[in-house]
Amino acid sequence: MSDGSIIGRTTTIRGHVTGTGAIRVEGRVEGDVVTDGNVEVAPEAQIQGAVRGATLRVAGAVAGDLSGTDAVLLESGARVVGDLSAPRIGIAEGALVRGKIETARGAAAAPAPRAAVAVRREPEAPRAASARAAAVPVPAAAGPAPAQSGRRAPPPPPPRAEAARDASPAPSGGRPGPAGAAHRGPPAAPRPRPGAEAGRTGRAAPPPPVVPSLAKGARLKKKKAGQR
Amino acid sequence: MAGTVIGEGLTIEGEIVTDDEVVVQGTVRGTLTSGDVVSIAAGGVVEADVQAASLSVGGQVTGNVTASDRIDIQAGGRLIGDVKAARLTIADGASFKGNVDMDV
Repeated sequence: MSDGSIIGRTTTIRGHVTGTGAIRVEGRVEGDVVTDGNVEVAPEAQIQGAVRGATLRVAGAVAGDLSGTDAVLLESGARVVGDLSAPRIGIAEGALVRGKIETARGAAAAPAPRAAVAVRREPEAPRAASARAAAVPVPAAAGPAPAQSGRRAPPPPPPRAEAARDASPAPSGGRPGPAGAAHRGPPAAPRPRPGAEAGRTGRAAPPPPVVPSLAKGARLKKKKAGQR
Repeated sequence: MAGTVIGEGLTIEGEIVTDDEVVVQGTVRGTLTSGDVVSIAAGGVVEADVQAASLSVGGQVTGNVTASDRIDIQAGGRLIGDVKAARLTIADGASFKGNVDMDV
């Protein structure tokens, strides 16, 4: 049983933090923080990357999406640039937020079930997502994340991976797919760009075939052309 | 309470740089640099080069380790990699494979 982890105040982690159990971040993380337990972000903490967990309690700075399977609570010192997504969201007075807020469906910290739905409804979306995953080095797609890789099947053809790499910041397929891809993405270095990366995860957006709902329109169109 | 605790279920892939004390009960892949004491608990797995003021290996470490003070490999601990420290102990029951440089 994991007691919980603490990332101390003087600690900087350049890379991903994944696993189980509660995490309290008091330092700096340049990468995603993904767990199935609660996540607490202390006032002096800085996270550049997505944060996923059960209940996220944020009092520090986060540049990335926050997805909770249970709740996302921003406390008074919070400074968040990124989307919030959870069944319950609380923003205390004094918190600073920039991003979309969605309570409609809790973010997929466990993308597998929702991904199954995605597969049924839009065969395109998982392929897009897996193309994006393949843009991130292919071994990662094949390797970890058992549930997701089972769903996603073999790596898609290179041209789509190309288009997807261009399109990768644009989360039109933004669903558990990309969320899963970001979840098991390898170290921070190869990532296209941090801002886009932040937009990719935790976005439970409308289905891509209909109207790609994104600011990054150009990339979206390109992706749509590649897809259909 | 140690500054940084990497709990049992946690995996960190990347570089960790800190001035805190670190306790690793989970998995670390990459590099780990601390200005203070690093202890790797019995279930901890570190596939990284470690640099610390002092290091105590109770779990599994694969990588080169450097300490400015001392390195202790405890019984049940396993170290595969080179060791560079002024003081070193390898307990009975510990497992070690690598070179030792104590000429610091």
